[in-house]
Order: sequence, then structure tokens, then C-alpha cells
Amino acid sequence: MPMNPMRSMLATSEAIAAEHGPLDALKETINHLCAPYYFVPLTTIILMVGLLTYRRWTKPRMALTLLFAFTVFYVGSMLDHAFFLIIKKPDNVPITIMIFSTLFCIWLAFRQAAINDERMTRGLPLIESGADDKVLVWPDLVFTELICLILCTAVLIVWAILLKAPLEPPANPTNIPNPSKAPWYFLGLQELLVYFDPWIAGVLLPGLIIVGLIALPYIDKNPRGNGYYTFSQRPMVITTFMFGFGIMWIVLIVLGTFLRGPNWNLFGPYETWDPHRPAALLNINVAEVFWVVLPEKTGLWKPGVPTQASFGLPVYLIREAPGLFILGGYFFVLPVLLAKSVCKKIYAQIGLIRYAIFWLLMSWMMFVPIKMVLRWLFNLKYFVAITEWFFNI
Amino acid sequence: MPTIEMVTKVWIAPGCIVCDACETTAPSVFEVQHDNETCIIRPAALDMEFTKPLTKDIIQSAEECPVNVIKFDLTPVEVSEAEAAAFASKPSAPSAPAASHGEPTGATAKGSPAKAATPAKPKVMDPAIQALLAATTSRGGHAVLQQGLPEGMKHLPKLSPDQLPPDGRQQKVLEKTKAEATEPTRRDLMLGIGWAATAVAFGAVPLAAFNRFMAPNVLEQEDPKVRCGSIAKYRAMAPGDVNEDFKPVKPSGFWIIREEDRICAVSIICTHLGCIPSWLPNDRKFKCPCHGSGFKPDGRNFEGPAPRPLERFKVYLDGDEVIVDRSRKFLAMGPTDTAVWNDPDASIPA
Repeated sequence: MPMNPMRSMLATSEAIAAEHGPLDALKETINHLCAPYYFVPLTTIILMVGLLTYRRWTKPRMALTLLFAFTVFYVGSMLDHAFFLIIKKPDNVPITIMIFSTLFCIWLAFRQAAINDERMTRGLPLIESGADDKVLVWPDLVFTELICLILCTAVLIVWAILLKAPLEPPANPTNIPNPSKAPWYFLGLQELLVYFDPWIAGVLLPGLIIVGLIALPYIDKNPRGNGYYTFSQRPMVITTFMFGFGIMWIVLIVLGTFLRGPNWNLFGPYETWDPHRPAALLNINVAEVFWVVLPEKTGLWKPGVPTQASFGLPVYLIREAPGLFILGGYFFVLPVLLAKSVCKKIYAQIGLIRYAIFWLLMSWMMFVPIKMVLRWLFNLKYFVAITEWFFNI
Repeated sequence: MPTIEMVTKVWIAPGCIVCDACETTAPSVFEVQHDNETCIIRPAALDMEFTKPLTKDIIQSAEECPVNVIKFDLTPVEVSEAEAAAFASKPSAPSAPAASHGEPTGATAKGSPAKAATPAKPKVMDPAIQALLAATTSRGGHAVLQQGLPEGMKHLPKLSPDQLPPDGRQQKVLEKTKAEATEPTRRDLMLGIGWAATAVAFGAVPLAAFNRFMAPNVLEQEDPKVRCGSIAKYRAMAPGDVNEDFKPVKPSGFWIIREEDRICAVSIICTHLGCIPSWLPNDRKFKCPCHGSGFKPDGRNFEGPAPRPLERFKVYLDGDEVIVDRSRKFLAMGPTDTAVWNDPDASIPA
């Protein structure tokens, strides 16, 4: 029987890895860096550096070098068995496509923005200014669309034949896939479910994303950047978008694909998915921090979670008062303070109502990474946990 | 003051053969519409001040009409001497500016190729007429009508079709409405049945399906009581052990757990989002594969996002046999708030 080339390559690579210590050390380092409290901040830093140096890395030679390096890294990673097992799952083929197509689209946009910004500093006309963006429907557009259609169909047919659809037997409570993952495009939302109640992560946040995208043109009426690529004219807006889309959506999908393993524990990309690996995650609520941990450490007040209703308030409101104060400060007081200080100019420009909507969206977008980091670092579970009302934030 | 008989109202009786003769003679009054196979009176000509100076043209058209469908009313009108003389001398000369021939409009030109032969027309046209023609033949006509309708015509657009002078198209409409008002035919009945069937297919069936979809499945549930065998088996378990025999029971399974002093039935549904956690005997915990919620062997939540401990079912003894009744649940609101579990129905003393 002829040996599968991929398999033989894999065997070779494992042999190499076994012999060569440095590779293992590298893998260990990457595994270590892929702990979420490094992974998400690191990707954010990479994004920010990319935004700062967009005129350099978008140059074709530089971009091609980076792409080549990333591809070598990605393909080289496939030689690792654990990584290869993730990549070869038919479910995860779109992830590979997504990573590369996202990188390409980001490059394309920033390349044109870099050219335009360069031209603007030199006083030259924009690349879009001379372009006649009209094409003839017949034959130009129809033929282009026809070719796209045929190509897409061909690719889908080949894909469907080569890789079997990942259909599974009927659901069986005694045999649950572990980990149970959402479709690849929802892995970011599934990741949010780890940190929030279902009604927040599954209803409120997706709703806010959709409503927020619809509301954007009404909040931001700045005409600059309409119809042409630019970064220097809209740095804050584009940075915000790149964070919301690139980090809070794409990176979370990547995290959900490569780093979430059995029992929804976190694994490095080159780490074997061991369902019995112990992982202690003793979560703690803000109420416990305030009523138990703080007084025990400082001795300022008597430790003990309140169990008696008082001031005419139910016990859970008193118990969760610290968390309610924090959340109230974050969602209602902070925007007011910012409107009077840092965001004074924005507030004057857009007025009360649009500022309120802007901060509603912004504060929820920032609340997600804040909560995630607090969970990773301090095992913080909920700011407010009123289970009686299904109100756990 | 001399009196002249002038045309105050002109209309077309049914039977027009669309021959272009009238439009050739009086293009500002008639419009032959080949597409609709009829001839209409232009809206401007519905006013008697418009038709009066064109009396001779209209009479000539009526005489020329091969099927004699052009009808008109003649009314004696008092005019001045000069006007009378002018009227008598010129066959169709306009005495008032409002009486000039209209410019051929797009629709007219298309409708009647014969109009190229019309006599020379004065270049200047009454702006009011121009506005009216533009209003009736161009897009957005209503706006023009509202702005530029000359005095004395403003009532015209408001009139109902019955009050306007009849013409061929009007007649067709009337005939059609009459036909519809007659007795229902067999075809009408069949059509009615067909539409009703379509309405049922597109309306009632999805409605019924929706109703079925929204209705709770209570009646189709399994018996909430499950017989779990002799108590001796569960008394023999070590405290903290979990029996997984009833995990696959539909619609919602349960684990039977042994605490220090009691035996309880714990639901397998995660309180976070309804996945089914796995029992990890080595770690001594339940762990959800969907979002990583962890539960202690007694069901208390301690890691991941689950807000509450696993729910417990009512459990009781029938003689020697343990019965789990899933119709009654005991919901603890937090890992430290588990007083409901002390209910005598929530456990069997070990």
C-alpha cells in the first residue's frame, strides 16, 4: 500500500521534532504565548503596530515577505500532530481560508489607504479621482459575474467531493462531542458565552453588533473617507473598527478554533487535547470579593456575605450592591465624566443623543475585553449575579 | 350684440375606428390613441372657453368623421362686432390666446403620424395651456397641474369621471364596470374556488404549522416518573459517587448521586445554556463541553459561566424502589444558596 504523502511528511516531521530540541522549545514558547491573557493582548499589539506602520508593511515587497513568513509558519505548524489534527477537520477548512482572506483584505484596504495618504501629503489627486467606476452591464459586468459564478461553483464542487461533509450521528446524551463547538463563524460568540449569561452573549451582544452597524452612519456623519481609501484622515474610527472586527470577532474565532479543547479548556496550538488534563478555575464573583476576600485581607469590615434583607431591599440586591455600583459607574457615570474631559470635543460635535448611543455601543464593546481579561487574570465570574432575575453580568 | 352658436362641449360616442381624421383637423381637441384603440378629448378641450373659438374645426371634424361618433353641444354666445367679424372671416383663427393649437406632444406624435400635415401653428402658446399639456403628458404631471392650472379649469381634475364629458375610453371603462356588475358566471365561481384554495394553501396551512410549532409539546412528553430500581444499589455507592445509568432517559436524563447522608437525582442539563456536562470521575466534577462550566459532584457550580447549581428532581421511595419524578424540580439559586435541597422530597435518606 502506498504511503500517504501527508502521513509520511508527518512522520518525518515528528522524527525531526523528536531529535531537535530547539523546535520543541519554540513550540513550548508559542504554546505559552497562546494563553489567552497573552494571545489577545499580543494580537491587539500587533494590530496597533500594524496600524501605526501601515505605510511600510503594505508595500508589496514587504507584504509579500510577511505573507510568505506567515505561510511558512502556518504550513510548518501543520507538521505538528496536534495542530494538524485541528487543521484537517473539514469544519476548520474555512478557518484557514478566513485567516488568509482576512489578511489579504486588510492588506488591500491599507495599501490603497497608504497610497492615497501619501498622495494627499504631496498634493496629488487621489487614486479614485481619475477612475471611472462605471462599467457596461453587457458584456463586462455580466461576463465577470458569470466567470465568478462558474469559479465558485467549481471550487464548491471540488471541495464537496474532496472533503466529506462533517455530518454526525443523531444526538446522544451519553456520547457528546467534547469539545462541542459552534459553526466556525459563531466561535467568537461561543467564546463570549464563556464570560456572559446566554441572554447577554447570545442576544444582547449580537443585537448590539447589528444595531450598532446600522446606527454607525447616523452617529458618524463625517464625510471624510467616503468613496476613497484613507487612514490618516480617520485614524480613530478605523482603529476602533479594526479592534471590534479584527480582535473581537476574527481573533476570537481563531482562539475558539485552535485554543479551545476538551471540556472547553484552553490548550496551546501544539498541545495534545487531553480530556483529563486538570484545570482548576475557581471562579469568584465581585460580591464574594467585596464581602469576604477584601475584609479578610484588610480587616476593615466583618467578612461574610449578607444573608438578611434590610432597608426594605431583597437580600440579593444588598449582596450585589458593590457590583451594581461598579457597573453603574462604568455604564452611566464614566460616559458623563468622559464627556466633560477627554471626549469634550466629540460631545460638542455630535450632541447628547448621538453621544449617548455612541457610548452605549462603545462601552459594551469595551466591556467584553475587560470582562475577558478579568476572568483570565482573576477568575472573576460575574460583577452582578442575581440569579433570581436571570441577571448575571 | 351679435350672437354666434359656439361649441361648448365636445365628446366622442362609442364606435371610434381610430382613423386620425379628427386629430388632423383639430389636433388640440382630439387625441387618437392607437395603442388603446380609441380617441379621447384632450383635457384642455374639456373647457368650453377652449372649444368656443375652435367651433368651426370641431364641426368640420364631426362632419368628416366616417362613423359619426363626434358629438357636440352648440350654445348661442353673445360676442362683440369685431369678434363676430373675425369669427366669420377666418375658418379657424383663434380669437383668444387660449384657442391656439397645442404643440404636438410626445404622446400625440407617436399616436398620429398624419399630424405632420397640420396647418402652420402659431409659435407662442398660452402658458396656462402649455402647463396643462405638460401636466397631462409628462411625468410628475400632478405637481404641474397644481401649480399652473389656469383659472376656470381648476375644478376639472377634481370632477369625477361621471361629470366629465364622455369619450371613447370613458365608455369602455363604463362597459367594463357594467359587465362586472352582472350576475356571477360559472367562471367567476371557479375563479373564486381557485383563489380560496390558494388562500388556504398559502395562509391557513402555514398558520396551522406555526400554531403547531408554537404549541408546547406537553402532551407528547414521556412519563415524568422514572423507576430506578432498588435503593440498595444506591446505598452501596460511596459518598460523592455518581450513577450515570439514567443519563440517556428522554426527554431529560439525570444522575443519581450519593451524598454523605442522602441520595438525590440531579438533572443533566447545564444551567448556563443547556448542554450536557460530562462526569469526569478522575477530576470528581461535571464539566460542560460547550462553555466549560464545572460542577462539584453534588451539582454546585464552581467554574465557568454557569450561574446556578445543577437542578435536582423530586425523588421518593415506592416500597424498595427509587422513583424519580421529573415533574418537580428543586432550583438552588447559587452554590451557597441551596436550602431548597433540604426539602424532604428532594432526597432519600441514605
